[in-house]
Amino acid sequence: MKKLYYPRVCETVYEDTLSSGLRIVVVPKAGHEKKYAYLAANFGSIDRAFLRGGKAETVPMGIAHFLEHKLFDMPDYDVSEAFSLRGASPNAFTSYDITAYHFSCTEHFDECLKILLEFVGTGYFTEASVQKELGIIGQEIDMADDEPDSRCFEMLMENMYASHPVRERILGTHASIAQITPEMLRTCHSAFYRPDNMLLCVVGDVDPDEVRRIAAEAFPERSDECAEAPRKWQEDMTCRTAYSEQTMSVAKTMFQLGFKCEPLLPGMEGLRQEAVGGLAAEALFGETSPLYLRLYRQGLIDYSFGGGFENLSALAFLSIGGDTENPEAVRDAILQAARQIAADGIGQDALSRLKRASVGRHIRAMDNFASVCAQVCMYGLSGYDYFRTAEPFDGIRSEDIQEFIGRVITPERMSTAIIRPSKEEES
Amino acid sequence: MIKTIPMAPGVTLRCFSDSRFKQGCLSIQYLRPMCNEEAAQNALLPSILLSGCASAPDMREISLRLADLYGASVVPLVRRVGNIQTTGLYCSFIEEQYAMAGDRILAPLADFLCELLLRPVLQDGAFRADYVESEKANQISSVEAQLNDKRAYTQQQLLLKMCGDDSFSIPATGTVEEIAKITPQSACNHYHRVLEESPIEIFYLGTQSAQTVASLLQPLTEHRSDRLSALPAHTAFSGEGFAEYTQHLPVTQGKLCMGFSTPITIRDPAYPAMYVLSVLYGGGMTNKLFTQIREKQSLCYDIGALYVDSKGILLVSAGADFEKCALIRQKVLRQLTACCDGDFTASELDCAKQSILSALRSVEDTPAGMERFYCYQRLLGTNRTPEALFRMIEAVDAAQVAEAAKTVSLHCVYELKGEAQ
Repeated sequence: MKKLYYPRVCETVYEDTLSSGLRIVVVPKAGHEKKYAYLAANFGSIDRAFLRGGKAETVPMGIAHFLEHKLFDMPDYDVSEAFSLRGASPNAFTSYDITAYHFSCTEHFDECLKILLEFVGTGYFTEASVQKELGIIGQEIDMADDEPDSRCFEMLMENMYASHPVRERILGTHASIAQITPEMLRTCHSAFYRPDNMLLCVVGDVDPDEVRRIAAEAFPERSDECAEAPRKWQEDMTCRTAYSEQTMSVAKTMFQLGFKCEPLLPGMEGLRQEAVGGLAAEALFGETSPLYLRLYRQGLIDYSFGGGFENLSALAFLSIGGDTENPEAVRDAILQAARQIAADGIGQDALSRLKRASVGRHIRAMDNFASVCAQVCMYGLSGYDYFRTAEPFDGIRSEDIQEFIGRVITPERMSTAIIRPSKEEES
Repeated sequence: MIKTIPMAPGVTLRCFSDSRFKQGCLSIQYLRPMCNEEAAQNALLPSILLSGCASAPDMREISLRLADLYGASVVPLVRRVGNIQTTGLYCSFIEEQYAMAGDRILAPLADFLCELLLRPVLQDGAFRADYVESEKANQISSVEAQLNDKRAYTQQQLLLKMCGDDSFSIPATGTVEEIAKITPQSACNHYHRVLEESPIEIFYLGTQSAQTVASLLQPLTEHRSDRLSALPAHTAFSGEGFAEYTQHLPVTQGKLCMGFSTPITIRDPAYPAMYVLSVLYGGGMTNKLFTQIREKQSLCYDIGALYVDSKGILLVSAGADFEKCALIRQKVLRQLTACCDGDFTASELDCAKQSILSALRSVEDTPAGMERFYCYQRLLGTNRTPEALFRMIEAVDAAQVAEAAKTVSLHCVYELKGEAQ
């Protein structure tokens, strides 16, 4: 294992790539009881069209999430029980571009790690279990339909993107998941759960070499599968539609504003773009901004207001949202404040303060081991190094923030999604 | 090892000197009775104090000061613990060794916290009216927004109906009506009462010594009254009878919440068995409700139980098709009967115990986890350490779990249905 030290966040990390292609990142934490392990595949809800052995494949919406559920099935033992008997809590999540399986435990770490590597690497799918899962995931879809925050975000993605599959729901729909077959799950598993398409991250009081040994035993050789999800979609910097709204059972009108940004470049330049986007968001509408105080005092925003710079494969955007009685007034105020920053810039003191706060937040984030694991997987599978995300701050100038806001926070790149309260009846 | 320093009558500092983390935490809690008259005031007070103080007279100035301290976070801290409500501030910050050479963090931060608590912006002997109105509106929004999370909303409505006169029926945020009644003067009067008469619990975790922290926070012990407010004793929920309620809203999925009671609280010798029962029945991923109702019968995606150990209340929540809720109710009761009959495997019992033991082993893995655990134990008067509770859980056997299950009885059911149902 290669030992690396990251001075900006004061973290020592061990890394290696096995002969099977599996990447391993271990962050030893002496003196902590709980150990965390995440095994993530570079396969998310956006990967619906891909080439496998030269053949074009298309799979139904929601299949990555469905696969996440079904991977917990093993032919000869109950995965949840195997973890629970060792005091471990397993779980998993599917995002737009990765699927991650994880557990935390205080004892029997080696055994739990073997179980994780085994069940994620196996893929056991039957017709009966697929049929049974339809009911459970159908309920999950219904539950998500009643969650206004996620619904509003989905609406924003539908508005902003014309061809990028981020506009589709991670869970899929009742109709799309009904098309899923065991064969399709096997195809996706073989194609994307290859060791060279996955990353294992462990944080806790563990021996990095022992983690490596266990992983090498589980994934001894490279898969002969040849599959590729190109993740290339044509998107310009205008939104598909500038506005949408719907009604739901909510207390107050809820909004999400999105501004399209250029996708990140590879390597440190991409991390620099991300740092500029994050600082620009803070400068424009963060709690230290004049705009935040003004909107708060006018009663136009409340505790729920917030946002930031987001990115995933082949896209990036800046989003702002919350509850308000008047989303149009908030939107106009944001555009006005952006015009002012684009014209006048931000002061050197203000920038130094924002950078200092951002670095402080990065350092504090290192104490959240579950989050570190998830971030290492998300950044790592996109080709970035999570532990270097705080490094670009030093080189960012106030002109960079001014230029970003002037270029991005404009009506041409903007879309708005609004959820308004429906009439409620109580009995 | 925790070190306790009585800083003044009614003011206690508990310190954990620990250098494993890159951040430290500090909580300052004023203890009040959980009652209708005060709930809204206690909940609102920290937000008013975070609106401005003498040297940082508005929210932006406060944010700028915290940004200078490497993005230190100071947030309102309002908790309900049994019959006690706490009001105060929670702060997390990077340790000085991770700041640039020469930059101090804890000392200026402690000064600032003292100022936020002791030197608010006043106008004609009251809080500033615009600050109070702004925070009232914010708090009312937060109360009303509970509707947005249908599972939590259903639980809240059930507790409101089920607990009746018990303090547990009072929302920790206060009700919209009580928040609306608050004036700049009444908030300020309440603030002085809180400051002068309330017992104060301070928790610090970080690299500094207890003496250093006590010295930095000494101003909090000044201007205190000789007479401390009395706090109510903790009591178990004691409601009787059975009631069920249905509410219709425009939702896609139904929500079911079942409220059970047990005389066993955290203060009872049978508590460890009840804790294990609650996890075996409805906690984690291998519990009876999850495996039988979700995994085997695919009746729902989301089902689980929550044991409110300060009161002896067990809540079961599920989200499901409207027409399946009645069947799920039967299945939930059937699984409870199975627990009463000792109809669970050694493996199920072991999974439940291991899940709790693992959680207890990791209490000291995060500053926030330690703060929550130790303050909770302290405020309930049990004062257990994770190690002590660990030994108690380890000793629980199947017969004790079945006995604990027999004390559980259904009191209330709340269902959320669609408008067409």
